[in-house]
Formats: sequence, structure tokens, C-alpha cells
Amino acid sequence: MHLERIVFKGTLQQLLDKVERGEMIPKLQASHAPPCKFWTAFMVINGIRHTVPIVHGPTGCTYSVASAYKMGSCEYRGVPLEPTACTSLGEANVIYGGERELLEAIREADVKYHPDLIVVLSSCCSGIIGDDVETVAREAKGMVKARVLAIRSEGFGGDFRSGYEDAFSAIMDLMDPPEKKMEDTINILGARVGPTYTEWAEDLDEIHRLVNAIGAKINAVIAGGCTLEQIRRAREVELNASWCYDWGQKIGQLMEERYGIPYSRTGQPYGLRATEEWIIGVAGPLGLERQAVDLIRKETGLVTDEVQYLRQFFGGKTAIVEVTEYPGPIRALSLASMAEEFGAHPVVVNIHPYTIKERMPSIKFLLKQGQNPEVILTKGLFSLGTFRSSLETEEELKAIVAEYDDAIYLGNPRRYPDVPMVNLTTSTGYPHYGYRGIRNIATLAKSAMQNSTRPRSKLFQQVLYG
Amino acid sequence: MMAGVTEAIDLRTMAAERCHDPYLRCAFYGAAQTAMGVSGSCVLAHSPQGCYQLVEIAFGWQSEDYTQTEILCTKLCEDEIVYGGETALAKTIMEAKSLKVPAMFVLSACGPEIVGDNISAVCDEMRKKVDFKIIPIECAGFRGSQYDGVDIALDALLKRLAVDHKRKIPNSVCLIAPHANANPTWMADLAWVKGALAMLGANVVATLTHRTTLSEFENVTSAEKSIVLSYDAGQKAADHLSREFGIEQLCRGIPLPIGFTNVRRWLTALGEALDAAGVAERMAAEGERMVVEQCRRKGFDLFSLSRLSTAIVADATIGIPLIRLATEDLEMVPVLISLRSSGKAAEEVMGNELRDLRLNPSIVFHTDVYRTRRSLAEVRPKTVFGSNIEKHAAEGLDGVEYVFQLINPIQRFRMIDREYFGYTGILNLFESIQNDFWDRYRSKRKRYEARW
Repeated sequence: MHLERIVFKGTLQQLLDKVERGEMIPKLQASHAPPCKFWTAFMVINGIRHTVPIVHGPTGCTYSVASAYKMGSCEYRGVPLEPTACTSLGEANVIYGGERELLEAIREADVKYHPDLIVVLSSCCSGIIGDDVETVAREAKGMVKARVLAIRSEGFGGDFRSGYEDAFSAIMDLMDPPEKKMEDTINILGARVGPTYTEWAEDLDEIHRLVNAIGAKINAVIAGGCTLEQIRRAREVELNASWCYDWGQKIGQLMEERYGIPYSRTGQPYGLRATEEWIIGVAGPLGLERQAVDLIRKETGLVTDEVQYLRQFFGGKTAIVEVTEYPGPIRALSLASMAEEFGAHPVVVNIHPYTIKERMPSIKFLLKQGQNPEVILTKGLFSLGTFRSSLETEEELKAIVAEYDDAIYLGNPRRYPDVPMVNLTTSTGYPHYGYRGIRNIATLAKSAMQNSTRPRSKLFQQVLYG
Repeated sequence: MMAGVTEAIDLRTMAAERCHDPYLRCAFYGAAQTAMGVSGSCVLAHSPQGCYQLVEIAFGWQSEDYTQTEILCTKLCEDEIVYGGETALAKTIMEAKSLKVPAMFVLSACGPEIVGDNISAVCDEMRKKVDFKIIPIECAGFRGSQYDGVDIALDALLKRLAVDHKRKIPNSVCLIAPHANANPTWMADLAWVKGALAMLGANVVATLTHRTTLSEFENVTSAEKSIVLSYDAGQKAADHLSREFGIEQLCRGIPLPIGFTNVRRWLTALGEALDAAGVAERMAAEGERMVVEQCRRKGFDLFSLSRLSTAIVADATIGIPLIRLATEDLEMVPVLISLRSSGKAAEEVMGNELRDLRLNPSIVFHTDVYRTRRSLAEVRPKTVFGSNIEKHAAEGLDGVEYVFQLINPIQRFRMIDREYFGYTGILNLFESIQNDFWDRYRSKRKRYEARW
């Protein structure tokens, strides 16, 4: 590959160092624009049942998140439609303020919807004009039956990460002082998007299965379809564990600091090693090591053939992991770790420095865990415009892959380098987590190997890249 | 007490409500939809990165080829809100030089407008430094609904791009706001209109907007006549073109061409205005015959809807003509009309329709999801012409048996654009309704397991 197309080649640690120095983060580049703080705060709040979010802002922010998350949960997760409300701020409110209207909206929502919880989310509009949503929420508390929270979530006020962190922090205000300890019971932290809807429900199902198999129980998945009652009792658990370390770590740390609830710091359970770490990370503090060891032995025995195949598939290869589009940088790093466990040399391609910045605490944690894969960034990643970026990175990926004799590609089927391509985004391929995940990933790897010489669909190629 | 509702709220007093569960996005989105309708355009969202998502959704609404349209964003953060974002805007415009686009539309969101960024001044300054047109559109979300945004953008585009040619092209027409239409594949409605006009001998000089070239905007004043293809937006643009350039609006006060009577009325009005009454009559006669024959050949089976009560929950553009289609063509009884918007023209034409059809339904303008659910709970129609939102909102309401998903958002994927306008449009509607009708009866479980 021509060197001029490579913008960065080094380790994850070296990339992190650059990002910490403020390098490689193009302020103006528009090809990578994740949701704003408001969207991610909403994602978290939407995961609490019988909650009315009141967006203190215009209708655009409101309908968009409702359309994206609420309707998705209704359509694909069997969730009933519940409201996504707003104060519908107009020009007059921008001039004169909208606090009075917000208070009335809270009272109205309580009467209309009878929710357990009302969460006020500020938007750019209400944030700039200085409406004090927190004070209004406090004032409303005595007037309505529902619990009321406020989150300062104006879109300009922070990045992708700050929205969910602030939302998780706000949720902690709903937790009652514990009356008792729920033995062998944990919370799963870091889920979001909607009742029963996390990124992939199948991954959560696998976590449920593993937790139950060691004799432990789950009080709440916060906030992946939990109830207010479950949140109120969240301090009664013996341990918190994360569903995704990145999303869960803030609330896990805060609950540990404030309430002394231990937090199991584990990454995503991809592959044997990470799954074992996850299980032991939960079982150890609960005193269930024996059950965990038994479970690990039993489950490992059941996936012997798949593990053997994965060792053969990955052994001595270079695993090119790409995350530009999907399924997200933390998953990509987990995949890289799994590839390494099974004998490959992982190379993560085009993990955007913007995402490194947004997820810095998690990246640092993963580095501390020993995950420090090689990273290559190309020029296309920084190109202006979504399509242009996608086209260039496709060509660059092919060039990178051609540099290795023995590469395999872990990513999404929008890409088609001339090597075995493991399609990790197919909906039939989940869960990825745990032992069932090992089975599924082995199946995907087999398909990649058996079909590696098949040509790219001309239709796909032309639709995607012209 | 109504199912799912534990405390009565008087629908009549709800106009003063503060807590909305909206069907519509904001003005910023409507403006983005409109700007995206200009071919090869580059849309720059002067906004935080969340608003960028709205522009991406607007991109889909115009059914644009993603390889040909560029979307940029200034990704404003706290610094730009405190110190202003004009520098960020200027830098982004400069960066866009590499894209080689013919024009850039700069859309300002709530944040920069409140803090006083002067996007017009920045665009004026930058125009000297780049070789493409720059059109600023001040369309902050707080300026209104997405329909207001369509009007804001059309106003900005016409004032910036339209050139007064003085000379008119005979039998020429410009089409306004085809995209303010909640048929999920509204572009097929536009195609039907263009086809009908061609048969009537008219020449469409500009479409505002869908795959519109900059030269179409420049030539729009050469049109003799205009047609607004929406009862939700576009009337202001038609008024502007009439006032400033003497462009006569056709089909004003007539529901859009959905259902037998409305299509015939619409074609007849056009035929008269374009001196092609005979052609219009032939088109109507042939179209009606085609629909009847297709219904005979293809197993049309909506007779059982006769005399069933129905609610129409829609935008004004599709919702108003559906009243007559439901009443006359399907013998149904509209008992609730719940429109996502309102406006003098829409209210007048709907009032005329209801009088003419001797209907007295409950009416809700500017509905939101809560009011829809409340209205459905109170009225309990057997059927609903609506969207996927009503499908979920009507859950648990005993007596509401069918929700026909015709209005955006629907849950069905459409690869082929399907019009509701015109005669094939009637068949498309019947097809959707009949599929939803029979889906209701499909077995949801097997009573016993097969042996093999």
C-alpha cells in the first residue's frame, strides 16, 4: 500500500497518546458525526419502563429520537408504545423563556400518562436561553405523583459519551437506601436504547443464562428495560457488572464510590478467555467461584470443536478488524482480543480518533488489561463527506489486506477484501457473547473460509461504491 | 372509562396543552428536506452533531443517491455557543471547496441562531472565496414544524435563485412542495402529476423541490401557472410567485387527486386551465375503466369495509382526499379526522368536503400521538387509515380492529415508488388496504404440530 494513504500506523497506546495531545481529531470533518449528548441521554432514559421523557425543546429533537428508538423497540422488541413528549419550544419561548411551560408540561404529563417517572431533557434551545430544568424538576416534585428527574443534555454541551454518563448519573438519584441485601444478586449496567432493547438482545440473553447458571440473579438491567422499582432497589445488590464496559463503567464506579457496591470491571465476553474473566468477575465477589469453575468447565467442554476450529481459523493469521461503520470500536477491540486469544495477530483498521477521544476511559481500561493491538488509520477516514470517506476506505482496506499473505477480515459485508470475510453483522449470528457466541462466531468463520473464493456481487459493489 | 385512559381530559381544551408527543419534526428538518431536493447539492448543517442526524433523515426523504449528495456539519460545541460559530462555519465552507459542488445550502440550527451567528454575512463573505453558490437558510428548529421549514427554505431559495425573466413559456407549470406529502413514496405522486401534465400539453419548468437543478430555480418565473402539491406546505411559495411574477395557481381549493372523484375533478380543472378539456375527460374515463377492470381481474375484495366506521389520521395532503375515497369508493363512514397540521386552505377544503359528503366526524387539527390515542379511544372507529404509529397507539383499544398503514411511517419496505395520486394510485391504496385487512386474519399460531 502506498505510504501516503496511511495516516497512522502504531499501537492503540500510541494512538491514544496522540489523541490525548489533541492530534488527529478533525474538528470540521463531517463524515464521522455520532449522535449528540441529547440523543445518547435519551437512549438511556428510554430504557426505563413507564417513563415519560419531556424534551424541553422543539419537536425535531423529540420526534427524531422517538422515531429512531421508541418505534424500533415497538416494532422489533415487543415493547408497547409509550410517550416521547416535548414542550415544543417556539420563538416566543426563546425570547421569554420556557420554564413556566415546562412546569405545566410536567404536570400535564403526570395527568395524561400516569408514569412512574418523568425525565426532563434539556435541548440546545433551552440550554442556551438558560432555562433551569433542574430547578423546575425539583419544583414539580411536590406537584405530581411521578418521580421527576432532569438531565442537562443540550446537544452542544458534550459529546456522545457525556449524554449517557450524565443520564446514568441522574438515574442514581432514584436509588433508595438499601433496606436489606439481596443475596447473590447483581445489576447489569450499561444497557440502553429501550425496554428489552440493547444493542443485541441475544447478548443480554447469554449474560442472563450465565449468571443464572452460577446460581446468581439479576435485579435490574440498567437501563435496558428496567422498572423504576428495580432501580429503587439497585443498592440492595451485592455486585454490579457491566453489559458493555464502556457504557457501564461510569455508573459502576459511582455506585462503588458512593454506596460501596463492588463493581466487576470486565470487558465484553468475546471468546473463551474474556467469557471466563466475565464469569469469574461476577462469581468471585459473590463467593460462587466453585459454581463458576464448574460452569466454565462444562460450557468449555460443549464448545471444544468450535474452539478448535477457531484456533485453526485464526492461528498464525493476521486478523484485520474494521470498525469504521459497525459494530463500534469497543466491540472491535474485544474482537481483536479474541482473535489474539485464538492465535492471530490483530490489526484494527480505521478506528476513528474521535471515538478514541469519546471513549477514552474505556480505552485506557482495555490497555491496562493488556489489549494494545496494532492500529492503522488511512486518509479516507478523514475525507469530507460520508460517501467519499466510505469509497476511499474501501479501496484502502483492500490495499492493506493485500500487504499480508495470510489475512482474514472481521467486519461487515459492505466490505469485500480478497480474503476470508467474517460477516459479524448478520442478525442470525448473535449472540457474540459467551459460549453461545463462540459457537456462532465459529459458524461465521467457517462460512467465511468455505466461501472465500467467491466473487463479490456486482450489484452489491455498484450499489455501495459505484 | 376508556381502556388505557384513567382520567378524562376534554379534547376541546387540549389546544392549550404544553406537553406534546409530536408527529412532526422541526423547521430545520423541513428546510433540509427542501434543500436536499436540489440535485448535486451540498447541505451544510451549522449545528451541533445531533442535528446532522436530521439532515441525514431528510436525505432519505428526498430519495437521493448517496453517492451524489454531500452532507456536512460544523459540529458546534460549547466553545462555539459561547464565542460564536461563524469562524467554524467559514472554515467548513472553505474545506468544502474540494467537493466540487454547484451549490451549498447552509442551514442554521437553534444554537447558532440564538447566539446570533450571522450566517448570511458569513456566506456573503465566503462567496468571494469559492466557486460555488452559497445559499443561507435560517431555519432553526424553534421556528416551527417541518412544514414551516419547507416554507422557510422555499422562500429563501426563491429569493436567492429565481431570476425574473419577464417572458412566460406557454402552457408552463411549476410544481410546489411535492415532498410535503406523507405518502412514504411521494415521488411517485409527483411522477404521476408530471405524466398527467405532459398528456395535457403542459410543460413543467420547475419542481420545488425534487431532483431540481439550479437552472430550474432560475427559470421558475417563466412559468405561467403553479400547482401546490401539498395542503401542509407550499402555499406561501405559490402566493409569492403569484404576487411577484404573476404566476397563476391552479387547482386551488380542490383536494389532491386521490380517489375516483378527486382525480376526475383535478384532471378536469387542469384540462380547463390548459385548454385540454377533451384530453382530461378521456384520461379520466380511461383511468376509471382501468381501475374497475383491474379490480375485477385481481380479486379486489374490500366490499366488507362497507359501512364500517373509520378514522383518518394523516397529514392534510393525503388525509383530506382520503375522506372522499373512504366515503364514496369504499362506502365507509369517517367518524374521526385527525390531521398532523392545519392551515386556512386545508381547513376550508376539508370543510367543503365534509359538507358535500354530509359527514360530521370528530376533527382534530395539529394532532399529537396522545390526542390520537385519546380520540381513537373516544370514537372507537372500526378501522384507521394511518401509520405505524397508530398501529401501536391503538393497541389495547377494544373495537379498533384494523389499522391500514398508508401514511409515513409505515412498517413495510418499498423498493418501488408507489403513488396514491391518480388511477394507479387508487389501486396502490386498495392493495395496501387489502393486504393489511387480510393480515389481521392470518393465523398467529398453529393449533397442533405437524408430524413430518
